[in-house]
Amino acid sequence: MPVVVHADKCNTCHGAQNPPCVRMCPGDLFMKDPKTGKIIMRDPSECWDCLPCVKVCPQEAIEFKLSYQLGFHTAKLMPHIHDTRDFITWELIDTKGVVDKFTIRTKVLPVELDEKVEGVTAVDFSI
Amino acid sequence: MEQNVIETDILIIGGGTAGCLAAVELKEQYPNLSVTIMEKAHIDRSGCLAGGMNAINAYLNPGETPESFVKYVRFDSCGIVREDLVLTMSELFEYCVKKVEKWGLPILCDEKGNYIPRGRWNIKINGESLKPIIARAAKNVGTKILNWVVATNYIMVNGRVAGAIGFSIRNGNLFVVKAKATIIATGGAAGIYKPNNAHDAQHKTWYCPYNTGAGFAMGIRAGAEMTSFEMRYIGLRVKDTIAPTGTIALGVGAPQINSKGEKFMATKYAHIGGDGAPTPYRSHGPLQEIKEGRGPVFLDTRHITPQQARDLKSAYLDMYPSMVLYWAANEIDPSKEPVEVQTTEPYIVGGHTQSGYWVDVNRKTTIEGLYAAGDVSGGAPYKFVSGCWAEGVIAARAAGEYAQKVEHADVPAELISAERDRVIEPILNFTHKKEGIKPYDMEVRLQKIMEEYAGGAATFYEVNEERLLVARRRLATLPEQFKYIIAEDLHDLMEAHEVIDRVLVAQTLVEHMLFRKETRWPGYCTRTDYTELDDQNWLKFVNTRRDPATGNIEVFTRPYEQIVPGDRYKPR
Ligand SMILES: Cc1cc2nc3c(=O)[nH]c(=O)nc-3n(C[C@H](O)[C@H](O)[C@H](O)COP(=O)(O)OP(=O)(O)OC[C@H]3O[C@@H](n4cnc5c(N)ncnc54)[C@H](O)[C@@H]3O)c2cc1C
Ligand code: SF4
Ligand code: SF4
Repeated sequence: MPVVVHADKCNTCHGAQNPPCVRMCPGDLFMKDPKTGKIIMRDPSECWDCLPCVKVCPQEAIEFKLSYQLGFHTAKLMPHIHDTRDFITWELIDTKGVVDKFTIRTKVLPVELDEKVEGVTAVDFSI
Repeated sequence: MEQNVIETDILIIGGGTAGCLAAVELKEQYPNLSVTIMEKAHIDRSGCLAGGMNAINAYLNPGETPESFVKYVRFDSCGIVREDLVLTMSELFEYCVKKVEKWGLPILCDEKGNYIPRGRWNIKINGESLKPIIARAAKNVGTKILNWVVATNYIMVNGRVAGAIGFSIRNGNLFVVKAKATIIATGGAAGIYKPNNAHDAQHKTWYCPYNTGAGFAMGIRAGAEMTSFEMRYIGLRVKDTIAPTGTIALGVGAPQINSKGEKFMATKYAHIGGDGAPTPYRSHGPLQEIKEGRGPVFLDTRHITPQQARDLKSAYLDMYPSMVLYWAANEIDPSKEPVEVQTTEPYIVGGHTQSGYWVDVNRKTTIEGLYAAGDVSGGAPYKFVSGCWAEGVIAARAAGEYAQKVEHADVPAELISAERDRVIEPILNFTHKKEGIKPYDMEVRLQKIMEEYAGGAATFYEVNEERLLVARRRLATLPEQFKYIIAEDLHDLMEAHEVIDRVLVAQTLVEHMLFRKETRWPGYCTRTDYTELDDQNWLKFVNTRRDPATGNIEVFTRPYEQIVPGDRYKPR
């Protein structure tokens, strides 16, 4: 279960047509739940564990979990991007709850909450 | 299915590493030309770079030259590479790296402002955001970007590529992009073989699972000449996460050891460089240890300090964050216990190995109007990000020049409607409620055939004539099944075409492996019936061309040419 979207934290980027999580997944794995309108992950087995979705969500609503096949429950890794966009702090929690933090230089470009799709009339990305 | 028709001077298919740099170069050199990128995902985070990078793996550190680079790459590829391609690519490393640094990529420097080397050819970067940085550069120069458009075939008019057709996974529209010149940059192919992990970690592969060999397949269908598919890439990776090991091996100088604690590379492979042996041997060595009962195999990191362990984790966070969580979730401290490694399933890539389009020094393929760059282009291994950038630049310069001399071709309407019918068939199968095959099911079938008969991990990557002939026969029945594939939605439709493409790549690959009757790259493709490297007969490239009319794949050879003098089996 590599990536989990917490429905309580996701505000659907205020009803955006193309929210950042949808744009950033190289495998097109996010979609709008046709029933609830919330963002859901299509299929955990298709996930590459590359994490742009986690890093880009303004609400920090997406959590990365290692699939149970590979590692034990409760361990967590959360990236927090600094307001200056020059640093990223990774919060690592092991299975015993020990917290470790890594602050690394980066260069995060601003992302729009919504984006028009070139050559495509605005459509709902849920199908 | 509505139709969007776009006319552009240059079409770049695949907006990854190579594609973005090609777009920038084109707009800088030829500001009057219109440039369009067709990308199946969103260029801000697509392809291999989606997670980020922690090093530029091909760079000429002080004291190295294009010639010394060729010597090393030739040694690393067991004596055979396209030296002309490797030379021209390395001449542009500096140009590309400086450019990307100017766009904002943080590169680690010492107090004097010099890049920090990691081994002979690597420099360290904070490349977590590398992909958005180059994507922005491509956008800023005025490239038209078609995100979420999956390329399915070239538009072939009188033997020339006159653009390409794709479909949007957002609204299902067919995109017909007519171009004077086309650059293919869709990366290599993952998912041909059964992955190391199954179940909910099926896509936990090393190579980007969304690069599915579309560029190879489009070229194969159009009759382009392909080279060296039999040089499959099988990497040594950290077990389970499949994270790259260079970060550890080069980053903290960790040797390989077997379960008895023996440094087997240093002893058994001393004659070809020990832990510095050519890359295929660094996979073959541990594989033999495991096969002969001395596994598991590790990278010995027990000498590193806690600070070095932290630095290692930081480096992985820039490129492969799941590695760090894996350690935490399994209570592993790499400074206290060695890191277990395993080999990956085989990938077909022109970047680490040299499978792909047969190109000339300008990255022009054998088809008029078509240029290839990056992992989709053959003959020049050891490309990594910087080599892909360089090839994007070279292809852009040549394609730009060509586009100025030609006009748009007239595209027959039947050609477009035939492709539309082919593209949409899996969706129609669903709406007509036909019984059928899901793309995933066919993928697993393909992977099972390849795993068992065409040298997958379970058979230690070994092949022989008889097994390969079974693979050939089994694969030949798959295209007859394409008409039963069902796709419930546009995401499924993309997956349907991914598996169709993969089958063609697999068929071509099997022909290549059957033809080369020697073992040039042990571990990558070990032939149990021809166990030795045979320079007498096989110092040449194995190439294929599929006849678009009959579907027959012709296999033939091209000579190797040595340009840089010296012993081909020595790294200097
Ligand atoms: C996990 C990993 C770590 C790596 N680490 C390093 C490193 O630290 N340093 C280094 O130098 N190199 C590294 N490499 C190698 C390097 O990243 C690749 O060789 C390089 O990015 C390949 O560039 P490319 O342009 O050929 O392919 P990509 O960058 O993958 O681009 C291909 C593009 O084509 C698109 N595409 C695919 N099919 C279609 C289609 N049908 N229609 C439209 N678009 C399509 C894809 O979505 C993608 O955007 C790493 C590779 C991987 C996989
Ligand atoms: S980016 Fe985050 S908040 Fe926005 S739609 Fe996606 S999950 Fe929800
Ligand atoms: S981790 Fe990567 S592949 Fe998985 S959902 Fe996020 S962006 Fe997509």
